[in-house]
Amino acid sequence: MQSPLVTEALFHLGPVPITAPVAVTWGILAVLGGGAFVATRRLKLVPGRGQALLETIVATIDAQIRDTMQADPAPYRALIGGIFLFVLTANWVSLIPGLEPPTAHIETDAALALIVFAATIGYGIKARGLVGYLKTFAEPTWVMIPLNVVEQITRTFSLVVRLFGNIMSGVFVIGIILSLAGLLVPIPLMALDLLTGAVQAYIFAVLATVFIGAAVSEGEAPAPRRDSLQKER
Amino acid sequence: MDNLIQVVSIASAALAVSFGAIGPALGEGRAVAAAMDAIARQPESAGTLSRTLFVGLAMIETMAIYCLVIALLVLFANPFVK
Amino acid sequence: MTIDWWTLALQAINVLVLLYILSRFLFRPVVAMMAERQAAATRDLDAARAARAAAEAEQAKATAETAVISAARKDRLDAATAEAQAQKDALLATARAEAEALRAAAATDIARARATAAREDADRASRLAVDIAARLLARVPAALQVSAFIDDLAAGVAALPEASRAALVAAEGPLRLKAPRPLTDPEVRACRDQLAAALGRDVTLTLEVEPALIAGLQLDAPHAVVRNTFRADLDRILKELTRHGTRHGT
Repeated sequence: MQSPLVTEALFHLGPVPITAPVAVTWGILAVLGGGAFVATRRLKLVPGRGQALLETIVATIDAQIRDTMQADPAPYRALIGGIFLFVLTANWVSLIPGLEPPTAHIETDAALALIVFAATIGYGIKARGLVGYLKTFAEPTWVMIPLNVVEQITRTFSLVVRLFGNIMSGVFVIGIILSLAGLLVPIPLMALDLLTGAVQAYIFAVLATVFIGAAVSEGEAPAPRRDSLQKER
Repeated sequence: MDNLIQVVSIASAALAVSFGAIGPALGEGRAVAAAMDAIARQPESAGTLSRTLFVGLAMIETMAIYCLVIALLVLFANPFVK
Repeated sequence: MTIDWWTLALQAINVLVLLYILSRFLFRPVVAMMAERQAAATRDLDAARAARAAAEAEQAKATAETAVISAARKDRLDAATAEAQAQKDALLATARAEAEALRAAAATDIARARATAAREDADRASRLAVDIAARLLARVPAALQVSAFIDDLAAGVAALPEASRAALVAAEGPLRLKAPRPLTDPEVRACRDQLAAALGRDVTLTLEVEPALIAGLQLDAPHAVVRNTFRADLDRILKELTRHGTRHGT
């Protein structure tokens, strides 16, 4: 059995090895971008069915961000909504035979988590200034500085591993089942994977929102993960 | 016993997955029980409760997933196996 | 466990590009459209609200006009009612005054008529009484009709005012003596004696019969009359009574 932890390069562009997740992500990029371009080319004041769906998605994302951060969602809409849509699409790519979700490989998850990490720092500095943002590490006392730094890193790592483990385990289990019994048996597990993929995409987006909100919010302790989850639900 | 490391790796992987499954299983059982209790008390908020339950279960499941990842690392990416 | 750094970098770039594309081609136009729709809805709502406000203002104006009209109508009605009331009162007052005047006039007439009737009745009764008295006195015995008055005639002459008695004394010619019946000689004689005693001279008497005198004697001189008869008394009484009645009648 092939290890789920290694990725083979499909081909090389010069010195750059192009692996399957990268290629699939390109496909997702093309589909999502093209779809968005086509779908938003003729927006009307009186929405059709597709436009109503788009607006519902956007409005829902806005509502979730507003509920979680208690702030205007406009600056964070593109980041949070884009991450959510990408992770969801990537998780559901396994519906297409022969394709593996890019999120089943740790590089994609690490890239996403790095982007969230950078965005957290960037939004925090933008909201409080560099000194102000650095001071938040000394809350409630300077003794907490190492713990806060470690928390920043571990929660990002946790973000990576959570998404990677969930999706990869789904793919792995389905691979095992396929090797044992080919026909119809993996279907319930694939359905479960769809559910897991949607939930994980949602959780990833919500956690990114919580991190950014904690970095941005003035003088408030970072919102506890669980409270925020229950509150916004 | 040349392949002692492989044997120990497989045994520890099984151990990690089995014990790593116990905690999240208990936690999920409590969570589901509490959710059922809440739904029985307030059937009108069943939608909100079940959605929150799903998210909570996913969070708890992550613990088991961590163990699975460790097991997979031990099995497939064991640094002590050449 | 190996991490393919090339793949990591490529995925990061891919995700960033995807985020940009989604932001540029999905979120921005959709949000802009939603904002535009909301603006349009707000505009329409404002327009509708303004139209409604205008309609309400119109309605309020119409209500006010209706109120004004009804108030004017009410005023006119009140004025008409008051005028009618005033006219009615005036008519009533006039009618009442006229009725009062009529009644007063009628009362006056009645009173006057009653007074007149009473006076007339009184007069008639007086005359009747005098007539009755005259009839009764006519039954006085013939001797008494004259003889009882002879002394009184002399007293009457004596009681005359000084000027009249002097004129009577100085009068020449015969004095007319009226009596209800032809006098007997002793009676004539007695009269002449008495008069002579009263006047201080001898008198010649012309005798006249006047039955209307009932009883008594009347001495007529050229300048004085001495009445000493029942007729004279009755006339005086009648005059007295009638005047009394007249005075009460008015």
